Amino acid sequence: MNEHYTDQLSDYLDDELTPGERAMVESHLAVCRDCSSTLEELRAVVARAGALLPRLPANDLWPGIEPRLTGPRDGQVVPFKARTSRRVSFTLPQLVAAGIALMVMSGGGVWVLQHGGRATSLPPVAATNEPPSVVPASSVNPRYDEAIADLEQALRAGRGDLDPATVRILEANIDAIDKAIAECRAALDADPANVYLNSHLAEARQRKLALLRRATALVGGKS
Amino acid sequence: MEALALRSPAESVPAAEPMSDVARAAAGDARAFEALYRTHLPRVNSLVRRMTAGRDADELTQDVFVRVWQKLGTFRGDSSFGTWLHRLAVNVVIERFRTDQARRARMHDGEDIFEVLPAPAVTRDIGMDFEAALERLPDGAREIFVLHDVEGYKHHEIASMLEISAGTSKAQLHRARMMLRKHLK
Repeated sequence: MNEHYTDQLSDYLDDELTPGERAMVESHLAVCRDCSSTLEELRAVVARAGALLPRLPANDLWPGIEPRLTGPRDGQVVPFKARTSRRVSFTLPQLVAAGIALMVMSGGGVWVLQHGGRATSLPPVAATNEPPSVVPASSVNPRYDEAIADLEQALRAGRGDLDPATVRILEANIDAIDKAIAECRAALDADPANVYLNSHLAEARQRKLALLRRATALVGGKS
Repeated sequence: MEALALRSPAESVPAAEPMSDVARAAAGDARAFEALYRTHLPRVNSLVRRMTAGRDADELTQDVFVRVWQKLGTFRGDSSFGTWLHRLAVNVVIERFRTDQARRARMHDGEDIFEVLPAPAVTRDIGMDFEAALERLPDGAREIFVLHDVEGYKHHEIASMLEISAGTSKAQLHRARMMLRKHLK
C-alpha cells in the first residue's frame, strides 16, 4: 500500500485527476491489492452517503417558528407613501372663460363650415404674409396687435358688402372671443402661471386672428 | 470510468415545488409557508443535523425557516425553490460555524479519529449506524463530507461557501471518507 496513491483515491473516485495522474493511479491499482481494497471501501462510503434518507426531527418545530414570522422581510414590495391628492380647482371666472372659449371655437367651426362653400377662393391662412401663427399668450406681441387692428379695420370697411346675417354672426363670434380673451386675462392676473389658462388665451387669440382673416377675405371676395 | 455520478444539490431537494404556496407565502400567507415548511422540513433538518453533528440542530432548523420567511421576497425563481432554500440553509449553518472562533483550527485536528471512532454498532438500521459515525467525525471533515457526498455540492462551491481552498475541501473529504470506511468494515 502506497500512501501517495491512497491520498489520491478520493480524487480518482471523483474524477478530479488529470489524465496523467489518473493513468498512474490505475497502473498502481493494477498491482496493489491494498489500494484496490481501500478504493472499494471508499466507494462504499460514498454510496452509503448518497443513500442517506431525510429524517424528521423528533418534535414538530413549527410552534417555534410561527411566532417568529413577524418583522421586516427582505425584498418586500413597500408601497410608496400615498401621495397627497392635489385638488385642481378653478375659479368661477376661469370656468366662464373656458366655457366661452369652447363655445367660440365650436361656433367658429360651424360658421366656417356654413360659409366655406361661398369662400372657396379664400387663400389658405398660412399663405398670407401675416405674423407667425403661434403667439405666446403671456407676452405682448405688437405684430399680433397690429394684424388684429388691420383686419378689424378692413372688416369695418367692407362689412357693407356682406350679408347682414353673416355680419351678425361674425360680430357675435368676435365679441365672444374678445370676452373669452378678457376673461382669461383677468383669470391670469390672479394665477399667471396657470398653464391651462395660458393655453386657452393663446388659442382664443389665434381663433380671433383666423376668424378675422377669413372674414376680411370674404369681404375682399365680395367686392 | 471510475468517477461517481454525485447528485447535484438541485436533485437532492424535492423537485416539484408548489409555486402557489411559494407565491402566497411570499405575500405573507403563514399557512402557505407552513405547507412549505412541512414539505422541506425532513431535508433541511437532516442537512442541519448532519452538518452540526446534532448540536442545536432543531434550533438551527427553526432559524433556517425564519430566515426563509424573511428572505422569501428575494426568491426570483432562477433555481427551484428547494434548491434556493437548501442553499440558504447551508448558509445559516455556516454562519453559525463562523461564530465559533476555533472552527478554522478544527479543520486541522482530529488526526487520531481513526482510532477513536467506535466499532460499528450491531443494529438493524445501518443507516443510523452510519449517521452515528458521521457525528463522530471532526467538524471540518464532517461538514465537507455532508456537503459533497450527501448534498452533492462541488469542491469549488464548498470552497466558496466555507471560504477555504478547493484543495482543503478535497483533503478534508478524503479524511472523512477514510475514517468512515473503517467504520463500515
